[in-house]
Amino acid sequence: MMLRRASLRYHLRQPWQAALAVLGVALGVAVVVAVQLANTSAERAFQRSAEALQGEATHRVSAGTAGLDEALYTELRRAGIRPCAPVVAGYVNAPGGDPLRLLGVDPWAELGVRDAVASAALEVDAGRWLSRGGMAVLFKPEAERLGLGAGDLLPVEAGGRRHELEVAAVADPPDELTAEGLRNTVVVDLATAQAVLGRLGRLDRIDLVIPDGEAGAAVLEQVKARLPEGAVLKEAGEGAAALDEMTAAFRLNLTAFSLLALLVGALLIYNAVSFSVVQRRPLLGRLRALGVARGQLFRGIVAEGVLLGTLGTLAGLPLGFALADLLLDLVTRTISDLYFVLSVRSVTPAPGVLAMAAALGVLVSGVASAGPAWEAATVSPRTALERASLEAKARRLAGPLGIAGLALGGLGAALLWGYGGGIVAGFAGIFALLVGAALIVPWAVRQLAVALARPAGALVGTPGRMAARGVASGLSRSGVAAVALVVAVTAVIGVSVMIDSFRTSLTTWLDSTLSADIYVRAPAQTGETPPPLPEGLAAELAAVPGVTGVGTSRRLRAPSEYGEIRLRAFDHGPEGDAGIVYKDRTAQAWADYRAGEAVYITEPFAAHHGLAVGDTVAFRTPEGERRMPVAAVVRDYATSQGAVYVSRTFYAESWGDGVINGVAVYAEPGADLEALIGALRQAAQGQGQALQFRSDAEIRARSLAVFDRTFAVTRVLQLLAAIVAAAGVFGALLALALERTGEVAVLRALGLTPWQVWGLELSRTGLLGLMAGVLAVPPGLLLAAALTGVINERAFGWSLQLSVDPALLAKAVALAAVAALVAGLYPAYRAARVAPAEAMREDG
Amino acid sequence: MSKALMQLSGLSKRYPEGDTERVVLDGCDLDIRQGEALAIVGPSGSGKSTLLNLIGAMEVPDQGALWFASEDLARLSERARTLFRRRHLGFIFQQLNLVPTLTVLENLLLPLELNGTLDADGRRHALALLERVGLQGRDASFPEHLSGGERQRVAVARALVHGPGLLLADEPTGSLDRETASVVLGLFDELRREQGMTAVLATHASEVAAKADRSLELRAGRLQEVAPA
Amino acid sequence: MSVAEALSGEPEAAGYARAEGPQPFSFPRDHGAHPDYRHEWWYVTGNLEGDDGRHFGFQVTFFRFALAPEPLQRTSAWATRQLWMAHFTVTDTAGETFHHFQRFARGALGLAGAEADPARVWLEDWALSGAPGAGLDRLHAEAEAQGVGIDLELSAAKPIVRQGDRGYSRKGEAPGNASYYYSVPRLTAEGRITLPDGEHAVEGSAWIDREWGTSALGEDQSGWDWFSVQLDDGRELMFYHLRQADGGTDPRSEGAWIDASGEKRRLSSDEVELEVLERWTSPDGEATYPARWRLRYPAEGLELELEPTLADQELRGGFRYWEGAIRGEGTVQGSPVRAVGYAELTGYAE
Repeated sequence: MMLRRASLRYHLRQPWQAALAVLGVALGVAVVVAVQLANTSAERAFQRSAEALQGEATHRVSAGTAGLDEALYTELRRAGIRPCAPVVAGYVNAPGGDPLRLLGVDPWAELGVRDAVASAALEVDAGRWLSRGGMAVLFKPEAERLGLGAGDLLPVEAGGRRHELEVAAVADPPDELTAEGLRNTVVVDLATAQAVLGRLGRLDRIDLVIPDGEAGAAVLEQVKARLPEGAVLKEAGEGAAALDEMTAAFRLNLTAFSLLALLVGALLIYNAVSFSVVQRRPLLGRLRALGVARGQLFRGIVAEGVLLGTLGTLAGLPLGFALADLLLDLVTRTISDLYFVLSVRSVTPAPGVLAMAAALGVLVSGVASAGPAWEAATVSPRTALERASLEAKARRLAGPLGIAGLALGGLGAALLWGYGGGIVAGFAGIFALLVGAALIVPWAVRQLAVALARPAGALVGTPGRMAARGVASGLSRSGVAAVALVVAVTAVIGVSVMIDSFRTSLTTWLDSTLSADIYVRAPAQTGETPPPLPEGLAAELAAVPGVTGVGTSRRLRAPSEYGEIRLRAFDHGPEGDAGIVYKDRTAQAWADYRAGEAVYITEPFAAHHGLAVGDTVAFRTPEGERRMPVAAVVRDYATSQGAVYVSRTFYAESWGDGVINGVAVYAEPGADLEALIGALRQAAQGQGQALQFRSDAEIRARSLAVFDRTFAVTRVLQLLAAIVAAAGVFGALLALALERTGEVAVLRALGLTPWQVWGLELSRTGLLGLMAGVLAVPPGLLLAAALTGVINERAFGWSLQLSVDPALLAKAVALAAVAALVAGLYPAYRAARVAPAEAMREDG
Repeated sequence: MSKALMQLSGLSKRYPEGDTERVVLDGCDLDIRQGEALAIVGPSGSGKSTLLNLIGAMEVPDQGALWFASEDLARLSERARTLFRRRHLGFIFQQLNLVPTLTVLENLLLPLELNGTLDADGRRHALALLERVGLQGRDASFPEHLSGGERQRVAVARALVHGPGLLLADEPTGSLDRETASVVLGLFDELRREQGMTAVLATHASEVAAKADRSLELRAGRLQEVAPA
Repeated sequence: MSVAEALSGEPEAAGYARAEGPQPFSFPRDHGAHPDYRHEWWYVTGNLEGDDGRHFGFQVTFFRFALAPEPLQRTSAWATRQLWMAHFTVTDTAGETFHHFQRFARGALGLAGAEADPARVWLEDWALSGAPGAGLDRLHAEAEAQGVGIDLELSAAKPIVRQGDRGYSRKGEAPGNASYYYSVPRLTAEGRITLPDGEHAVEGSAWIDREWGTSALGEDQSGWDWFSVQLDDGRELMFYHLRQADGGTDPRSEGAWIDASGEKRRLSSDEVELEVLERWTSPDGEATYPARWRLRYPAEGLELELEPTLADQELRGGFRYWEGAIRGEGTVQGSPVRAVGYAELTGYAE
């Protein structure tokens, strides 16, 4: 009891360290909570929406972008297969560009599949619903958000065409889950959806509710027997699972970064607890002399750490909640940019996440305080050791720690660059690498500082020498500060170089792939195939003066032996394969491809399915299965899911339609693109479809903008880790300053002015920061190599060229120095204020 | 009677203690004569260190003046007092004397460097002093590798190295065993006399006081002459 | 839109074709749909007996509702102005179970519709289909839902009867508030009934009603009681009472007496006397229906006591009504007579 009281009073008298430790853990826990909450909220929104859209359906029939002939539905119904619901769904833009999901259904068929949708649609007079076009039902939350009521008009835009919907009814969702799942959803009749989305005669899918067991199996057989070529029957959950998987790598990335912040937070706890132990060493010695057992001391100190950690955790949870809001926005935007339209409006409190983060915060604090606690427990009762002996101990430990760090780093490298291993092994490798690097830091700092003492002395005299030696001699403190900095700066370097490399690779690819001058397509949402362009558009554009040629593209999802895959059918323009960046190919690749005798696959596609040049891919086309050899693997950063390129010849043979989604226009050299776009618009005007005309430069700029948004989350997390690290440096330097009060007092007595003390202290922290920055370069580069070469490839299938911009490294090193200097300001101020008289304390 | 190096008149110093104040010095008068060794004795807490702090211009009195070369230290700016300490004073503390991140020699050179007088002569002088305190060959050692007595010997050397006018020593042997203490004290006295320096020592050790030319006892905030034993 | 609205005289009947006077029927064309009228139905009811004498009632009805007077000018094949509804019921008298099912489908993409020759009306897999050139003489009725099904061959035992005035049936005061109405008053039925407990070979007799028009009930009418009764001496009686809001019977209520040769006699509202002997309240208390009657047709010396084969034959779907098998015993000109039939009681629910 007394011990605990003593410990509490101690921390109340030394509030800085305790506060910092609490802050560090709070920030660490907050970042973990925020990332996890943002992740789970996004995932939950996605799951809810998938569930609400899936309803009771157990199976679904679909046929990729091409869709199903609507006659299949009649056939299934007339065969008595029910419940069975046809769906035509897609995204439209509400005024202001807000994407809304247009869910086209037959209300009566919805009964037993999606009762909520059925009853919503059935609120509308059947006469109006069936006979008039554009009748829409909104759920209440959505109607309120859009500020619409029954009878209001809702103009929407889809594929460049405007349509007017009328809110025929506003329905109350039956429960919260449905409300959440059907967020952003506008329910319309199938006829309306077909017209608005340009899907006349087609269905996107037919949802089936099929019972388990023998009866169900018989029904499935009946369904299968009726499936046309190109259509597939899947379990209903499969699509959602695939979409979920799509973003899994992205979300794992975020989790890894959040753990990094917590790791740095743990260093703060370590520092605070160990500082408190050193401060109380004489007291601890006396306590030991009084008969306090080692176990008691150990437990007492760990309890202190856990208490600080708990306080930090408690503060971190609400902080994380607030932070999650910010992150959620970034995460949602990234998913919407890259994968599919996702709407998440609020952070969902997930008790599991909070409990996990809380446990992690407390656990990490306990582990971080175990070292100092052991230190405290081994204090000899006879002699109250001086700080100097702790330093000696720290120095002795530095070597073995460094060796352990090397071993751990090696293990990390093996996990990263050894054979096999998935993305989780990749991240484990990265953590091993980081922790390994952290363990080497104290030793390296000491060596560097000792080596620097002479040149520093030569440069600025004794204060310089003192600064360098101070770093080395205060290793138990400066080591911790340096570790915090090195870890953070390593992450900064690794991530920045990775992003930079990625950006460079992307830019290079865009430059070579955007070989045409103007690209034409109809607007579409992320993850949705752009709507078909009017027939004959390509020819009309080709006829515009100044145009030297056109190419066309068709994008669709089509069933294959690998499930539904992204297919790109190109009619390459006059420049042939100039826009294709090959990674690997056969000698005859282009000729075979053009003749429709081979296909190309993109890098991620090859990675995901373990394919290489010479392998084959089988497509389920309306003409039956077509197995095609892979003639080339090409670079393509457009989708991390991978895609297959086929020539227009092959597409026409197998899919038999003339649909195109995009036209690439080649202009005469030196043409005025603005003017040409005007002319092209003119030529396309008769088609009644709003089209996007974009120059290659604009597409390039847009792609890079999406790229930058994608990494905004990463940058925020990186910044947070750096803030935690700066707090760590601050704590360590403050501890050091307090411990060195006597030393500073002597210097002041000897005649050092306060400004000289400032200079001394700041040059030491600056030096420390600089060293940490320099020390972070090698592990930072390793991290960058791991992120670009291993993680990206394992997560997304892209191989990136590592490109290192020296300016970027210099910036990171400068960042470390500046962070240390900023963190060192207050400790230096404290030191400068040390009264020389402190050297003469009466009674020692 | 030689003239006074420093004149203290009516020095008072109080420290707040809770709501009240503790009067440590209450109108102290003292002339520190050129070349003498003056011992301030008194029990713990009697204000010896405070007096030393005032003499060393590390603190300023609440009342009274400290005249040194026609300047009142009590009225100098912090910076001026720092420069005063740098040039005119040498310190020996009970412990924590040396800068742990500097070698023995570097500790010795520090006052010279601070005064801008570090040159080859200075360096030779420092090495000679080191030899005088019996630590030849230890110039590259760090303080932590020295024994307590050795450290205090370095402190003595450092206090003298820049030839200050006044030496201040606060329990210079307080943390040493008797034998070592007498060696250090002997050295201190010897060197002081050689160089004709004035010294003020705060101590409660009779051996230290015995080496002094005169002893003053600090009692209830005032100084009283103590008859030589 | 609820079915009740469709069946009651909703004011927006403008633009639809109306039954404004007797018109000669043209078969087989009129077996098919009349899309310009607001509503139309194909109504098959019957009483069946298993080998073991177990009694079953069945009803398969196809309703067509026009939602707009004019054909639509829209691109999607799913857009339609015809909504179809079908009811399918099986009364398992011995099992004391009433199975009833309701389905909707749009009249598009072949999901539901009616054709004249061969006569065929269907909603998805529920269908009533005839043979080429055979009109309604031979029909196959087929429906299945949740393990309950019928599969019956129906053969007309009597020629078509034109109800009302040569098939023109007035239902209210307003002009055009009428329908075209014809029946096949007796068909022999043979086939199978599937119930959750197994299949039953059955035989019996059925009745078909065909009716189309644009409005049925006037504002002062609250519902109707409709009876079809097949006597075991080979004659049939059909009559309906249009109940007025004030509790009286609309004088336009009428009926038909069909003799063994198929000759029809038109009955006015007061020729058939109906006395309610008992009432039955549905389990949830939402509606109370007449549940036993004494029927008198003095002109033919007929006196019958009619009762439901099973009390609860209420259809509790969107449109709540009672439609079920009934049976009766009594005398005709003093000789004992037995009867089976169907009754439809609407307008009793709140």
